[in-house]
Amino acid sequence: MSNNIPAELKYTKDHEWTKIDNDTAIIGITDFAQSALGDIVFVELPEVGKVLNSHQAFGVVESIKSVSDLYSPISGTVIEVNSGLQDTPELCNVEPYGSAWMIKVKLSNTQEINSLLSASDYQNFLSSL
Amino acid sequence: MTILKTSLHEEHVSLKAKMAPFAGFDMPLQYTSVKEEVHAVRAGAGVFDVSHMGEFLVEGPDAVKFVDYIITNDFSGAENLKAVYSPLCRENGTVIDDLIAYKLGEARVLICVNASNIKKDWDWISSKISSFDCTIKNQSDDYSLLAIQGPESYNILNKLGILSSVEFPYYSILETTFENEKLIIARTGYTGEDGFEIFSSHIFAKSLWSKLIALDVKPCGLAARDVLRLEVCYPLYGHELNDEITPLDAGLSWTVKLTKDSFIGKATLVDYKPTYQLVKLSLDRGIPREGYNVLDAENNIIGTVTSGTMSVVSGKGIAMALILKSKNPKDKKYFINIRNNNYEATFHTKAFITGGHK
Repeated sequence: MSNNIPAELKYTKDHEWTKIDNDTAIIGITDFAQSALGDIVFVELPEVGKVLNSHQAFGVVESIKSVSDLYSPISGTVIEVNSGLQDTPELCNVEPYGSAWMIKVKLSNTQEINSLLSASDYQNFLSSL
Repeated sequence: MTILKTSLHEEHVSLKAKMAPFAGFDMPLQYTSVKEEVHAVRAGAGVFDVSHMGEFLVEGPDAVKFVDYIITNDFSGAENLKAVYSPLCRENGTVIDDLIAYKLGEARVLICVNASNIKKDWDWISSKISSFDCTIKNQSDDYSLLAIQGPESYNILNKLGILSSVEFPYYSILETTFENEKLIIARTGYTGEDGFEIFSSHIFAKSLWSKLIALDVKPCGLAARDVLRLEVCYPLYGHELNDEITPLDAGLSWTVKLTKDSFIGKATLVDYKPTYQLVKLSLDRGIPREGYNVLDAENNIIGTVTSGTMSVVSGKGIAMALILKSKNPKDKKYFINIRNNNYEATFHTKAFITGGHK
Protein backbone atom coordinates (compact mmCIF):
# COMPACT_ATOMS: atom_id res chain seq x y z
CA MET A 1 0.00 0.00 0.00
CA SER A 2 1.16 3.46 -0.92
CA ASN A 3 2.26 5.46 2.11
CA ASN A 4 4.01 8.78 1.49
CA ILE A 5 4.01 11.08 4.56
CA PRO A 6 5.59 14.52 3.92
CA ALA A 7 7.45 15.75 7.01
CA GLU A 8 6.22 19.36 6.82
CA LEU A 9 2.50 18.52 7.17
CA LYS A 10 0.29 17.73 10.18
CA TYR A 11 -2.06 14.75 10.29
CA THR A 12 -5.14 13.22 11.94
CA LYS A 13 -6.17 9.67 12.75
CA ASP A 14 -8.99 10.18 10.21
CA HIS A 15 -6.26 10.27 7.53
CA GLU A 16 -6.49 13.97 6.69
CA TRP A 17 -3.44 16.18 6.27
CA THR A 18 -3.17 19.87 7.13
CA LYS A 19 -0.69 22.46 5.95
CA ILE A 20 -0.59 25.34 8.39
CA ASP A 21 0.40 28.83 7.20
CA ASN A 22 -0.09 31.35 10.04
CA ASP A 23 -3.85 31.40 10.65
CA THR A 24 -4.89 29.45 7.55
CA ALA A 25 -4.84 25.73 6.91
CA ILE A 26 -5.05 23.72 3.70
CA ILE A 27 -6.69 20.31 4.16
CA GLY A 28 -6.73 17.12 2.12
CA ILE A 29 -6.60 13.32 2.48
CA THR A 30 -3.39 11.35 2.94
CA ASP A 31 -1.68 9.03 0.53
CA PHE A 32 -2.64 6.15 2.81
CA ALA A 33 -6.31 7.21 2.58
CA GLN A 34 -6.39 7.45 -1.22
CA SER A 35 -4.63 4.12 -1.54
CA ALA A 36 -7.01 2.42 0.90
CA LEU A 37 -10.05 3.86 -0.90
CA GLY A 38 -8.91 2.89 -4.39
CA ASP A 39 -10.18 4.71 -7.50
CA ILE A 40 -11.77 7.93 -6.24
CA VAL A 41 -14.68 8.90 -8.46
CA PHE A 42 -16.55 11.62 -6.56
CA VAL A 43 -15.73 14.40 -4.11
CA GLU A 44 -18.32 16.60 -2.39
CA LEU A 45 -16.99 19.71 -0.64
CA PRO A 46 -18.65 22.48 1.42
CA GLU A 47 -19.49 26.02 0.30
CA VAL A 48 -17.12 28.88 1.01
CA GLY A 49 -18.19 30.51 4.30
CA LYS A 50 -19.11 27.25 6.02
CA VAL A 51 -18.05 27.26 9.68
CA LEU A 52 -16.45 24.00 10.80
CA ASN A 53 -15.65 22.59 14.21
CA SER A 54 -12.70 20.26 14.55
CA HIS A 55 -13.68 16.63 13.80
CA GLN A 56 -16.83 17.85 12.03
CA ALA A 57 -17.69 16.20 8.71
CA PHE A 58 -17.12 18.74 5.93
CA GLY A 59 -17.57 16.63 2.82
CA VAL A 60 -17.55 13.21 1.25
CA VAL A 61 -15.12 11.24 -0.86
CA GLU A 62 -16.40 8.27 -2.82
CA SER A 63 -14.59 5.39 -4.46
CA ILE A 64 -16.41 3.02 -6.79
CA LYS A 65 -17.35 0.83 -3.82
CA SER A 66 -17.47 3.17 -0.84
CA VAL A 67 -18.62 6.48 0.62
CA SER A 68 -16.37 8.09 3.28
CA ASP A 69 -16.88 11.27 5.29
CA LEU A 70 -14.14 13.90 5.40
CA TYR A 71 -13.46 15.34 8.88
CA SER A 72 -12.00 18.75 9.51
CA PRO A 73 -8.77 18.50 11.52
CA ILE A 74 -9.35 21.97 13.02
CA SER A 75 -12.03 24.61 13.66
CA GLY A 76 -12.47 27.55 11.31
CA THR A 77 -14.26 29.04 8.33
CA VAL A 78 -13.92 27.69 4.81
CA ILE A 79 -12.35 30.43 2.66
CA GLU A 80 -11.56 28.46 -0.50
CA VAL A 81 -12.65 25.16 -2.03
CA ASN A 82 -10.85 23.12 -4.68
CA SER A 83 -13.83 23.00 -7.03
CA GLY A 84 -11.69 21.38 -9.73
CA LEU A 85 -12.05 18.08 -7.88
CA GLN A 86 -15.70 17.96 -9.01
CA ASP A 87 -14.57 17.22 -12.54
CA THR A 88 -11.29 15.46 -11.77
CA PRO A 89 -11.75 13.49 -8.53
CA GLU A 90 -9.11 11.04 -9.76
CA LEU A 91 -6.47 13.64 -8.85
CA CYS A 92 -6.95 12.43 -5.26
CA ASN A 93 -5.27 9.18 -6.27
CA VAL A 94 -2.44 10.93 -8.10
CA GLU A 95 -1.49 13.99 -6.06
CA PRO A 96 -3.18 13.73 -2.66
CA TYR A 97 -0.79 16.33 -1.18
CA GLY A 98 -0.75 18.61 -4.22
CA SER A 99 -3.42 19.38 -6.79
CA ALA A 100 -5.99 17.34 -4.83
CA TRP A 101 -6.03 19.64 -1.79
CA MET A 102 -9.66 20.02 -0.72
CA ILE A 103 -10.39 23.12 1.35
CA LYS A 104 -8.62 26.14 2.79
CA VAL A 105 -9.78 27.19 6.25
CA LYS A 106 -9.23 30.35 8.32
CA LEU A 107 -8.49 29.05 11.80
CA SER A 108 -10.68 30.14 14.70
CA ASN A 109 -8.44 28.57 17.33
CA THR A 110 -4.74 28.25 16.51
CA GLN A 111 -4.19 26.33 19.78
CA GLU A 112 -5.73 23.30 18.08
CA ILE A 113 -2.65 22.97 15.89
CA ASN A 114 -0.85 21.46 18.89
CA SER A 115 -3.24 18.52 18.99
CA LEU A 116 -2.48 17.48 15.40
CA LEU A 117 -0.14 14.57 14.66
CA SER A 118 3.35 15.12 13.32
CA ALA A 119 4.53 13.07 10.35
CA SER A 120 6.30 10.62 12.66
CA ASP A 121 3.24 10.38 14.97
CA TYR A 122 1.10 9.56 11.94
CA GLN A 123 3.61 7.01 10.68
CA ASN A 124 3.52 5.34 14.12
CA PHE A 125 -0.27 5.40 14.07
CA LEU A 126 -0.36 3.71 10.65
CA SER A 127 2.09 1.07 11.84
CA SER A 128 -0.26 0.29 14.74
CA LEU A 129 -3.25 -0.37 12.47
CA MET B 1 -17.57 -19.08 12.19
CA THR B 2 -14.34 -19.85 10.36
CA ILE B 3 -13.78 -17.91 7.22
CA LEU B 4 -13.51 -20.11 4.13
CA LYS B 5 -10.83 -19.86 1.49
CA THR B 6 -10.99 -20.83 -2.16
CA SER B 7 -8.22 -22.94 -3.67
CA LEU B 8 -6.74 -19.75 -5.17
CA HIS B 9 -6.51 -17.83 -1.90
CA GLU B 10 -2.69 -17.88 -1.86
CA GLU B 11 -2.60 -16.53 -5.40
CA HIS B 12 -4.83 -13.61 -4.43
CA VAL B 13 -2.70 -12.79 -1.43
CA SER B 14 0.53 -13.00 -3.43
CA LEU B 15 -0.97 -10.58 -6.00
CA LYS B 16 -1.63 -8.22 -3.05
CA ALA B 17 -5.38 -8.20 -3.62
CA LYS B 18 -7.54 -6.30 -1.14
CA MET B 19 -9.38 -9.14 0.53
CA ALA B 20 -12.80 -8.96 2.15
CA PRO B 21 -15.29 -11.44 3.58
CA PHE B 22 -18.07 -12.33 1.15
CA ALA B 23 -20.65 -15.07 1.75
CA GLY B 24 -18.36 -16.66 4.33
CA PHE B 25 -15.30 -16.66 2.07
CA ASP B 26 -12.23 -14.42 2.19
CA MET B 27 -12.46 -13.09 -1.36
CA PRO B 28 -10.48 -10.65 -3.52
CA LEU B 29 -12.28 -7.30 -3.77
CA GLN B 30 -9.74 -5.76 -6.14
CA TYR B 31 -6.16 -6.29 -7.23
CA THR B 32 -4.89 -3.06 -8.77
CA SER B 33 -7.76 -0.72 -9.63
CA VAL B 34 -11.46 -1.40 -10.14
CA LYS B 35 -11.43 0.88 -13.19
CA GLU B 36 -8.54 -0.99 -14.81
CA GLU B 37 -10.19 -4.32 -14.08
CA VAL B 38 -13.52 -3.22 -15.61
CA HIS B 39 -11.77 -1.84 -18.70
CA ALA B 40 -9.81 -5.08 -19.11
CA VAL B 41 -13.03 -7.12 -19.24
CA ARG B 42 -14.78 -4.72 -21.63
CA ALA B 43 -11.82 -4.47 -24.01
CA GLY B 44 -9.65 -7.57 -23.50
CA ALA B 45 -9.95 -10.30 -20.92
CA GLY B 46 -10.10 -10.68 -17.16
CA VAL B 47 -10.25 -13.68 -14.86
CA PHE B 48 -12.36 -13.98 -11.73
CA ASP B 49 -12.08 -16.63 -9.04
CA VAL B 50 -15.72 -17.46 -8.36
CA SER B 51 -15.05 -20.76 -6.62
CA HIS B 52 -17.16 -19.63 -3.70
CA MET B 53 -20.29 -20.31 -5.74
CA GLY B 54 -22.25 -23.49 -5.07
CA GLU B 55 -22.69 -26.50 -7.36
CA PHE B 56 -25.34 -29.20 -7.04
CA LEU B 57 -25.37 -32.21 -9.36
CA VAL B 58 -28.75 -33.81 -10.11
CA GLU B 59 -28.57 -37.29 -11.65
CA GLY B 60 -31.16 -39.85 -12.67
CA PRO B 61 -33.96 -40.41 -15.19
CA ASP B 62 -36.05 -37.55 -13.73
CA ALA B 63 -33.17 -35.06 -13.43
CA VAL B 64 -34.47 -32.68 -16.10
CA LYS B 65 -38.09 -33.05 -15.02
CA PHE B 66 -37.12 -32.31 -11.42
CA VAL B 67 -35.12 -29.19 -12.23
CA ASP B 68 -37.95 -28.01 -14.50
CA TYR B 69 -40.33 -28.43 -11.54
CA ILE B 70 -38.26 -26.44 -9.04
CA ILE B 71 -37.35 -23.48 -11.28
CA THR B 72 -39.67 -20.99 -12.97
CA ASN B 73 -37.93 -20.86 -16.36
CA ASP B 74 -38.34 -23.59 -18.99
CA PHE B 75 -35.77 -26.36 -18.57
CA SER B 76 -37.52 -29.37 -20.15
CA GLY B 77 -37.61 -27.51 -23.46
CA ALA B 78 -33.91 -26.62 -23.36
CA GLU B 79 -31.59 -28.50 -25.69
CA ASN B 80 -28.84 -30.72 -24.41
CA LEU B 81 -25.67 -28.82 -23.44
CA LYS B 82 -27.54 -25.58 -22.89
CA ALA B 83 -27.54 -23.33 -19.83
CA VAL B 84 -30.73 -21.77 -18.45
CA TYR B 85 -30.90 -18.81 -16.04
CA SER B 86 -33.82 -18.97 -13.62
CA PRO B 87 -35.20 -17.85 -10.29
CA LEU B 88 -35.88 -20.56 -7.70
CA CYS B 89 -39.18 -19.77 -5.98
CA ARG B 90 -41.32 -20.87 -3.08
CA GLU B 91 -44.97 -21.87 -3.47
CA ASN B 92 -45.91 -18.25 -2.64
CA GLY B 93 -43.75 -17.02 -5.52
CA THR B 94 -41.02 -15.38 -3.45
CA VAL B 95 -37.44 -15.83 -4.63
CA ILE B 96 -35.14 -18.22 -2.75
CA ASP B 97 -32.24 -17.63 -5.14
CA ASP B 98 -31.39 -17.19 -8.79
CA LEU B 99 -29.30 -19.84 -10.49
CA ILE B 100 -28.00 -21.27 -13.72
CA ALA B 101 -28.95 -24.86 -14.60
CA TYR B 102 -26.64 -26.64 -17.03
CA LYS B 103 -28.14 -29.53 -19.01
CA LEU B 104 -25.18 -31.90 -19.23
CA GLY B 105 -27.46 -34.70 -20.46
CA GLU B 106 -31.03 -35.96 -20.22
CA ALA B 107 -30.19 -37.52 -16.85
CA ARG B 108 -27.56 -35.10 -15.55
CA VAL B 109 -27.95 -31.47 -14.55
CA LEU B 110 -25.48 -29.16 -12.84
CA ILE B 111 -26.97 -26.28 -10.88
CA CYS B 112 -24.81 -23.28 -9.97
CA VAL B 113 -26.10 -21.14 -7.09
CA ASN B 114 -25.04 -18.05 -5.17
CA ALA B 115 -22.48 -18.69 -2.44
CA SER B 116 -24.54 -16.85 0.16
CA ASN B 117 -27.51 -19.15 -0.47
CA ILE B 118 -25.89 -22.59 -0.70
CA LYS B 119 -27.39 -23.94 2.52
CA LYS B 120 -30.81 -22.35 1.99
CA ASP B 121 -30.98 -23.68 -1.58
CA TRP B 122 -29.71 -27.13 -0.60
CA ASP B 123 -32.28 -27.49 2.18
CA TRP B 124 -35.08 -26.38 -0.14
CA ILE B 125 -34.14 -28.36 -3.26
CA SER B 126 -33.25 -31.58 -1.46
CA SER B 127 -36.57 -31.46 0.41
CA LYS B 128 -38.50 -31.47 -2.91
CA ILE B 129 -36.78 -34.41 -4.61
CA SER B 130 -38.32 -37.47 -2.92
CA SER B 131 -41.09 -38.12 -5.49
CA PHE B 132 -38.64 -37.86 -8.41
CA ASP B 133 -36.42 -40.64 -9.76
CA CYS B 134 -33.13 -38.78 -9.31
CA THR B 135 -30.56 -37.88 -6.67
CA ILE B 136 -28.80 -34.64 -5.78
CA LYS B 137 -25.24 -34.14 -4.55
CA ASN B 138 -23.79 -30.96 -3.09
CA GLN B 139 -20.47 -30.62 -4.93
CA SER B 140 -19.75 -27.05 -3.84
CA ASP B 141 -16.51 -28.09 -2.11
CA ASP B 142 -15.37 -30.24 -5.03
CA TYR B 143 -15.27 -27.64 -7.78
CA SER B 144 -13.18 -24.58 -8.36
CA LEU B 145 -14.75 -22.11 -10.76
CA LEU B 146 -12.88 -19.58 -12.87
CA ALA B 147 -14.70 -17.03 -15.02
CA ILE B 148 -12.69 -15.78 -17.99
CA GLN B 149 -14.57 -12.78 -19.34
CA GLY B 150 -14.08 -10.28 -22.13
CA PRO B 151 -13.89 -10.18 -25.95
CA GLU B 152 -10.47 -11.89 -25.97
CA SER B 153 -11.59 -14.82 -23.78
CA TYR B 154 -12.12 -17.23 -26.64
CA ASN B 155 -8.76 -16.49 -28.25
CA ILE B 156 -6.96 -16.97 -24.96
CA LEU B 157 -8.57 -20.33 -24.17
CA ASN B 158 -7.94 -21.34 -27.77
CA LYS B 159 -4.26 -20.40 -27.44
CA LEU B 160 -4.03 -22.55 -24.29
CA GLY B 161 -5.53 -25.47 -26.23
CA ILE B 162 -8.54 -25.70 -23.93
CA LEU B 163 -11.02 -24.62 -26.60
CA SER B 164 -10.80 -25.68 -30.22
CA SER B 165 -12.57 -23.87 -32.99
CA VAL B 166 -15.80 -25.86 -32.63
CA GLU B 167 -19.05 -23.92 -32.69
CA PHE B 168 -19.92 -23.08 -29.11
CA PRO B 169 -22.61 -20.41 -28.78
CA TYR B 170 -23.39 -18.16 -25.82
CA TYR B 171 -25.20 -19.98 -22.97
CA SER B 172 -24.08 -23.41 -24.14
CA ILE B 173 -21.83 -25.94 -22.44
CA LEU B 174 -18.95 -28.20 -23.37
CA GLU B 175 -17.74 -31.19 -21.41
CA THR B 176 -14.19 -31.89 -22.37
CA THR B 177 -10.99 -33.55 -21.24
CA PHE B 178 -7.86 -31.45 -21.21
CA GLU B 179 -4.54 -32.75 -19.87
CA ASN B 180 -6.40 -35.71 -18.30
CA GLU B 181 -8.69 -33.31 -16.48
CA LYS B 182 -12.46 -33.43 -16.95
CA LEU B 183 -13.76 -29.90 -17.41
CA ILE B 184 -17.19 -28.40 -17.70
CA ILE B 185 -16.91 -25.21 -19.73
CA ALA B 186 -19.91 -22.92 -20.06
CA ARG B 187 -20.08 -19.88 -22.30
CA THR B 188 -21.72 -17.88 -19.54
CA GLY B 189 -20.78 -15.11 -17.16
CA TYR B 190 -21.94 -12.12 -15.21
CA THR B 191 -20.34 -9.24 -17.07
CA GLY B 192 -22.35 -8.84 -20.28
CA GLU B 193 -19.25 -9.69 -22.29
CA ASP B 194 -18.41 -12.88 -24.10
CA GLY B 195 -16.76 -15.27 -21.68
CA PHE B 196 -16.43 -18.70 -20.18
CA GLU B 197 -16.89 -20.28 -16.80
CA ILE B 198 -14.75 -23.35 -16.17
CA PHE B 199 -15.69 -25.88 -13.50
CA SER B 200 -12.66 -27.98 -12.57
CA SER B 201 -10.68 -29.58 -9.78
CA HIS B 202 -8.87 -27.24 -7.41
CA ILE B 203 -5.45 -28.30 -8.71
CA PHE B 204 -6.40 -27.61 -12.30
CA ALA B 205 -7.82 -24.20 -11.40
CA LYS B 206 -4.52 -23.20 -9.79
CA SER B 207 -2.56 -24.18 -12.88
CA LEU B 208 -5.05 -22.51 -15.24
CA TRP B 209 -4.97 -19.33 -13.14
CA SER B 210 -1.15 -19.15 -13.46
CA LYS B 211 -1.31 -19.72 -17.21
CA LEU B 212 -3.90 -16.98 -17.64
CA ILE B 213 -1.90 -14.51 -15.54
CA ALA B 214 1.21 -15.36 -17.59
CA LEU B 215 -0.78 -14.44 -20.72
CA ASP B 216 -1.58 -11.04 -19.17
CA VAL B 217 -5.21 -11.84 -18.50
CA LYS B 218 -6.10 -9.35 -15.79
CA PRO B 219 -7.07 -10.75 -12.38
CA CYS B 220 -10.37 -9.09 -11.42
CA GLY B 221 -12.09 -8.88 -8.07
CA LEU B 222 -15.64 -8.77 -6.78
CA ALA B 223 -15.76 -4.95 -6.95
CA ALA B 224 -15.16 -4.95 -10.72
CA ARG B 225 -17.63 -7.82 -11.08
CA ASP B 226 -20.29 -5.75 -9.35
CA VAL B 227 -19.72 -2.72 -11.62
CA LEU B 228 -19.71 -4.92 -14.73
CA ARG B 229 -22.99 -6.63 -13.89
CA LEU B 230 -24.63 -3.36 -12.88
CA GLU B 231 -23.64 -1.60 -16.12
CA VAL B 232 -25.52 -4.32 -18.03
CA CYS B 233 -28.31 -4.46 -15.38
CA TYR B 234 -28.00 -8.07 -14.26
CA PRO B 235 -29.79 -8.60 -10.93
CA LEU B 236 -27.88 -9.75 -7.85
CA TYR B 237 -29.56 -11.79 -5.15
CA GLY B 238 -29.79 -9.87 -1.87
CA HIS B 239 -30.15 -6.64 -3.83
CA GLU B 240 -32.62 -6.73 -6.75
CA LEU B 241 -33.94 -10.13 -5.63
CA ASN B 242 -34.77 -11.27 -2.12
CA ASP B 243 -36.95 -13.51 0.03
CA GLU B 244 -39.81 -10.99 0.11
CA ILE B 245 -40.53 -10.38 -3.57
CA THR B 246 -41.40 -12.44 -6.64
CA PRO B 247 -39.48 -12.50 -9.95
CA LEU B 248 -42.39 -10.53 -11.44
CA ASP B 249 -41.61 -7.62 -9.07
CA ALA B 250 -38.03 -7.53 -10.29
CA GLY B 251 -38.51 -7.39 -14.05
CA LEU B 252 -37.89 -11.10 -14.54
CA SER B 253 -41.20 -12.09 -16.16
CA TRP B 254 -39.16 -13.49 -19.08
CA THR B 255 -37.86 -16.17 -16.70
CA VAL B 256 -41.31 -17.21 -15.43
CA LYS B 257 -42.88 -19.58 -17.94
CA LEU B 258 -46.50 -19.71 -16.83
CA THR B 259 -47.35 -22.01 -19.76
CA LYS B 260 -45.18 -24.79 -18.27
CA ASP B 261 -47.10 -27.79 -16.90
CA SER B 262 -46.39 -27.40 -13.24
CA PHE B 263 -43.66 -25.81 -11.18
CA ILE B 264 -43.28 -24.57 -7.64
CA GLY B 265 -44.84 -21.13 -7.39
CA LYS B 266 -47.00 -21.40 -10.52
CA ALA B 267 -50.34 -21.39 -8.68
CA THR B 268 -49.48 -18.05 -7.07
CA LEU B 269 -47.58 -16.40 -9.91
CA VAL B 270 -50.28 -17.11 -12.53
CA ASP B 271 -52.61 -14.54 -10.93
CA TYR B 272 -49.99 -12.35 -9.30
CA LYS B 273 -50.13 -8.57 -9.72
CA PRO B 274 -46.67 -7.20 -8.96
CA THR B 275 -46.29 -4.62 -6.19
CA TYR B 276 -42.93 -3.39 -7.41
CA GLN B 277 -41.03 -2.81 -10.61
CA LEU B 278 -37.29 -2.69 -11.14
CA VAL B 279 -36.11 0.50 -12.83
CA LYS B 280 -32.78 1.69 -14.20
CA LEU B 281 -31.79 5.23 -13.23
CA SER B 282 -28.71 7.35 -13.78
CA LEU B 283 -27.46 10.65 -12.39
CA ASP B 284 -25.31 13.23 -14.14
CA ARG B 285 -23.79 14.17 -10.80
CA GLY B 286 -23.52 12.12 -7.63
CA ILE B 287 -23.45 8.38 -7.05
CA PRO B 288 -26.61 6.50 -6.11
CA ARG B 289 -25.99 3.86 -3.45
CA GLU B 290 -27.95 0.90 -2.15
CA GLY B 291 -30.59 2.04 0.35
CA TYR B 292 -30.98 5.59 -0.96
CA ASN B 293 -34.63 6.64 -1.37
CA VAL B 294 -36.24 7.18 -4.76
CA LEU B 295 -38.88 9.93 -4.90
CA ASP B 296 -41.49 11.05 -7.42
CA ALA B 297 -42.15 14.58 -8.65
CA GLU B 298 -44.43 15.20 -5.64
CA ASN B 299 -41.63 14.27 -3.21
CA ASN B 300 -43.23 10.96 -2.19
CA ILE B 301 -40.85 8.13 -1.43
CA ILE B 302 -41.72 5.48 -4.03
CA GLY B 303 -38.84 3.06 -3.63
CA THR B 304 -35.24 2.32 -2.85
CA VAL B 305 -31.99 1.93 -4.75
CA THR B 306 -31.07 -1.78 -4.70
CA SER B 307 -27.63 -1.39 -6.31
CA GLY B 308 -25.72 1.72 -7.28
CA THR B 309 -22.23 2.66 -8.36
CA MET B 310 -20.25 4.87 -10.69
CA SER B 311 -20.23 3.43 -14.19
CA VAL B 312 -16.64 3.03 -15.31
CA VAL B 313 -17.72 3.23 -18.96
CA SER B 314 -19.91 6.36 -18.77
CA GLY B 315 -18.54 8.05 -15.63
CA LYS B 316 -22.11 8.54 -14.42
CA GLY B 317 -23.83 7.34 -11.30
CA ILE B 318 -26.01 4.35 -12.21
CA ALA B 319 -28.58 2.44 -10.20
CA MET B 320 -31.21 -0.20 -10.21
CA ALA B 321 -34.12 0.55 -7.89
CA LEU B 322 -37.23 -1.26 -6.76
CA ILE B 323 -40.15 1.17 -6.85
CA LEU B 324 -43.90 0.84 -6.49
CA LYS B 325 -45.38 -0.32 -9.76
CA SER B 326 -47.16 2.31 -11.79
CA LYS B 327 -48.38 2.83 -15.34
CA ASN B 328 -46.10 4.43 -17.93
CA PRO B 329 -43.02 4.55 -15.70
CA LYS B 330 -40.88 6.09 -18.44
CA ASP B 331 -43.06 9.19 -18.60
CA LYS B 332 -42.50 10.09 -14.94
CA LYS B 333 -39.85 12.06 -13.12
CA TYR B 334 -37.59 10.37 -10.55
CA PHE B 335 -35.35 11.80 -7.88
CA ILE B 336 -32.71 10.08 -5.76
CA ASN B 337 -32.07 11.41 -2.27
CA ILE B 338 -28.38 11.68 -1.45
CA ARG B 339 -27.41 13.16 1.93
CA ASN B 340 -30.70 15.13 2.16
CA ASN B 341 -30.58 16.52 -1.36
CA ASN B 342 -32.82 15.28 -4.17
CA TYR B 343 -31.14 14.80 -7.55
CA GLU B 344 -33.23 14.26 -10.67
CA ALA B 345 -32.47 10.92 -12.30
CA THR B 346 -32.67 9.84 -15.92
CA PHE B 347 -34.92 6.83 -16.57
CA HIS B 348 -33.44 4.16 -18.83
CA THR B 349 -35.53 1.64 -20.75
CA LYS B 350 -32.43 -0.39 -21.67
CA ALA B 351 -29.29 -1.42 -19.79
CA PHE B 352 -26.71 1.36 -19.30
CA ILE B 353 -24.42 -0.35 -21.77
CA THR B 354 -24.76 -3.22 -24.20
CA GLY B 355 -22.32 -6.00 -23.49
CA GLY B 356 -20.48 -7.67 -26.33
CA HIS B 357 -21.65 -11.24 -25.81
CA LYS B 358 -22.92 -13.10 -28.83
